[in-house]
Amino acid sequence: MIWEVFRQEEPGDSHEHVGNVHAPDREMATLFARIQHARRMQTNSLWVTPRDEIGEVTAEEAAFGGRTDKSYRWAMTYNDIDASFAEEVADSESEQREAARKRREALREEENEA
Amino acid sequence: MDLETVMERAGPREFGPGDELPEKYRKAATRMIQFHANSEVMGGYLDKTFTRKAPSLDRKLANTAKVQDEIGHAQLLYRAAETLDVKTRAEMLDELATGEGKFLNCFHYPVDSWYEAPMIDFFVDGGAMRRQATLKSTSWTPYAHAMDKVCFEEGFHVKHGESILRELMNGSKATQERMQETFDVWWPRILQFFGPTNDESVHDDFAQAVGLKTATNDELRTSFLNMYIPKAEKYGLEIPEYPRIYERDDGTMAVREDDLDWKEFWTISRNEYEGSTEQIGSRRRRQDAVEWVRESLETWESSAGPTPQTAD
Repeated sequence: MIWEVFRQEEPGDSHEHVGNVHAPDREMATLFARIQHARRMQTNSLWVTPRDEIGEVTAEEAAFGGRTDKSYRWAMTYNDIDASFAEEVADSESEQREAARKRREALREEENEA
Repeated sequence: MDLETVMERAGPREFGPGDELPEKYRKAATRMIQFHANSEVMGGYLDKTFTRKAPSLDRKLANTAKVQDEIGHAQLLYRAAETLDVKTRAEMLDELATGEGKFLNCFHYPVDSWYEAPMIDFFVDGGAMRRQATLKSTSWTPYAHAMDKVCFEEGFHVKHGESILRELMNGSKATQERMQETFDVWWPRILQFFGPTNDESVHDDFAQAVGLKTATNDELRTSFLNMYIPKAEKYGLEIPEYPRIYERDDGTMAVREDDLDWKEFWTISRNEYEGSTEQIGSRRRRQDAVEWVRESLETWESSAGPTPQTAD
């Protein structure tokens, strides 16, 4: 049975997927996960879950975020407004800019492949 | 873990579902997150009025996206609250419908004009975002995680709100005057958004001692005033003479509390204001209207849902 492994580095962080292990039951899966994924890497907590229990949807099946122009829902669109007056607004805008950049790159790659 | 240990350990993202926490902590956290989640729902319902009032397709689209975000925030927050094992999501939603659930003062005033959009979308959302940014360091980890995503999205709301204000204040003289009139009505409500001064607040002390809250009402109100008064003035809004705002010795701004209508504020906080009844009722009717959707989801989940056998 395959178990997917999620590792949390510091208390308060999200658990992130780091790989999987082959194990007959949950107890063995946690043991293998400890050895394979937490021996050197800083770890606060590990999760294991049977692969079969994970639902997945990929970019091939779904157009994540849609393909029409939805620029109206990004902070950067309102570029006549200066976000720097409030740290939290400026932070949000730069996070959004980074997310939009990654998304643009992915779409460009998709177009190049097509 | 006993209360003393909780207070000793209290810090950003210190506790999570894996910890055994005293009931007092779990109840205080539930109260706080449920209030926050309810406010997202009620803010979303209020905001949807603006989609119809918005003067252009761009504004309508942006507003729809914002309402979608707010309802999404409510979902995240009800989940974060549920992890405390005090109340279920269904219980919290029912409490909101019966008028037992509490939410932010500004969402108890029904809106009916586009001029009110910047009041909610810029000033109230701006104030809310100030508070939410400090809650990224709350001690209940699922709450902090919800704030990461909420703050990621809120920047669009606040900037869009400011963009509406800017547009209206660049309009005709009549438009500017109406904007000012609307501002005069909303300004005292916005000042009350951060609640009464610290010594009058009922829940602050404990919430801060256990790290649920990381900034006081006073600190938040002060920083809000320092940031948003210059913004209002930049677009030509006049700050009303009352309630009086004054500068403290240390240069920060404060409000003369006696100039605000606290009787109305406390009536609202008990959900007994005229607008409370209207807003809570209108949401309850919509919740009732889609009862059949929840029912069919539940039937499906209990009959055809995946069995956890493979996991065990």
